[in-house]
Amino acid sequence: MKNVLVVISAADSSDKAVEFAVLAAKKEGGTVFALYMLEGGSASDVSERFTDMGFIGDKPSTEVSEAIMKEYRQRGYEELGRVQIKCMEEGVPFEPLMEAGEEGAGGDFVARVLDCIASRAIGLAVVVRSKKKTLARYLTKPPEDRLKEAAPCRVEVFD
Amino acid sequence: MAVEIDKRSIWLLLVLRGLRPLFFLALFLFFWYIVNMPAPEGLSPAGKNAIAIFLLCLTLWVSNAIPLAITSIFAIVLVPLLDVLPRKEVYGLFGNEAVFFILGAFILAGAVMHSGLSNRIALAILERFGGSPRRLFLSIYLLGASLSCVMSEHAVAAMLFPIVIEITKGLGLRPGHSNYGKLLFLALAWGCIIGGVATFLGGARVPLAVGMLREATGKSINFAAYTAAVLPVVAVMLTVGYFVLTRAFKIDIESVAGAHSLLARRIHAIGKPRYDEYGVGLVLLVTFIGWVFWGAKGGLATIALASVVALFILKLVKWKDVEEYVNWGIILMYGGAIVLGAALERSGAAQWLSDRTVGQWATGPWSAVALFSLFSILLTEAMSNAAVIAILLPVGIGLSKKFAMDPSIVAYSIAVPAGLAFCFPISTPANAIAVSSNYLTLKDMLRVGVIMVAVSWAVFNLAARFYWPLIGLGY
Repeated sequence: MKNVLVVISAADSSDKAVEFAVLAAKKEGGTVFALYMLEGGSASDVSERFTDMGFIGDKPSTEVSEAIMKEYRQRGYEELGRVQIKCMEEGVPFEPLMEAGEEGAGGDFVARVLDCIASRAIGLAVVVRSKKKTLARYLTKPPEDRLKEAAPCRVEVFD
Repeated sequence: MAVEIDKRSIWLLLVLRGLRPLFFLALFLFFWYIVNMPAPEGLSPAGKNAIAIFLLCLTLWVSNAIPLAITSIFAIVLVPLLDVLPRKEVYGLFGNEAVFFILGAFILAGAVMHSGLSNRIALAILERFGGSPRRLFLSIYLLGASLSCVMSEHAVAAMLFPIVIEITKGLGLRPGHSNYGKLLFLALAWGCIIGGVATFLGGARVPLAVGMLREATGKSINFAAYTAAVLPVVAVMLTVGYFVLTRAFKIDIESVAGAHSLLARRIHAIGKPRYDEYGVGLVLLVTFIGWVFWGAKGGLATIALASVVALFILKLVKWKDVEEYVNWGIILMYGGAIVLGAALERSGAAQWLSDRTVGQWATGPWSAVALFSLFSILLTEAMSNAAVIAILLPVGIGLSKKFAMDPSIVAYSIAVPAGLAFCFPISTPANAIAVSSNYLTLKDMLRVGVIMVAVSWAVFNLAARFYWPLIGLGY
């Protein structure tokens, strides 16, 4: 194990997960890759709700959706900055990544993380268990568990 | 590249893929069965077909399998096709005054948003009154409520959301961790929801209910009478909402200085008020006075449309802006709902349905109001408030005849609770916006929302029982 991947999002971030990832990379002399998952679903849900039942037109609906995405992106930079500070404190090399993708029936989240694991020679992946409850979660395994099964490396899940 | 293999069972995948076609097939067979069955005793064939269309629309509105507006268009297609009402009458109903009032109100609200007037008012009020954490929370709450009295609650939520997001950032609140963040976003959502039921302008559901009422009974509700009946309910709910929120989410910050300087910067950035802001403000004020004092005589739609014409004569708005700020789909939805309501009423299906459903459980006017308000407030958590009115009001009007009640009381008891959705993001866009901030979870919303739904239902029924008779709305 050399490189460590820590996956965070606007809804699911954990200081413990970040700390664990940074200390693991320090111990192994590897790099921390922090992957921020940009959740476009919430923004498009709001936009759909406005289009379907809202009393306002396309322009304000789109503006709200864009405001949400802008906020998520900014939050992503802040979260990644937090990981970077932790890495700097521990003297661990750091690389930020931001990807659009989230849990869904198509397994977008899992596919994105697996891509990242393969392309960055990751030896340990640290993920935070999603707090969001969707219908798909009751019909299928949680994405964290699917990731554990499919990943070629060790996967640690934090609640 | 690593590829994830879907390891779910083939049967599960087939069921998931085939669910939608199966749903539509089952719905079609059910519809076909009702249309082809003999009419039950006491119901004409046209009434039976009206009920078939009603059940079809009910299923589609609840399931959201196709857009709400398309379900309404489906009703417009089916009503003349199944000989429930003549074609000419169906399309004539679409030109109902309520539809044009909604159109006028949307265009006015669009002009207010486009001019930047609403944004300026919001920033000025928050900057002026939000001096402490509690006062800032209260300012957002009351601002959402008061603006929703004069324009669509959805427009207010959409406009205030970026401001509240900036405030939370200015205060350094962390999503998911900050109680104050939860409080601010719930204040935004609840303020808009509660304020939205205070007048005809908070949402199009009240004009829709009035339009359906007029088509079915010839009776109407005027702007001032509606506000007089509902305003005390709104005042009590705002007070209860304030206590519920502040008890559930204790304020966990000391100062709002960061937000204050941010608001001051934004006010400075938008500069002095422009001609179009003054103009739109003046037109809105005159319109509002017109609705209150001449609404009953001049007609709400006529006043709204006259104001729209004034906006264009004064060059305060362009057609392109109107196109962008009006949800044309929802207007189709409302027109279709009026057609469906009239089809049920005129074919005798509404009376037949109410006798065999709610009529069996309601023992008198008081229990009818309690039951309809309960159905309305529960259904609106899961579906569009316009769909709730389209489904319940024809049945309610049918029942009002049985108890010799004023049908407008039933219209109130369905239209007002239909706007009070506090529990889920799917219930109303204001809730969806609040949850999308990630400051609060569905669990947070549900925890306080359930209390508020129970309180709202109780407050509404107490007002109906003890306050309404004082203003001549007795039953």
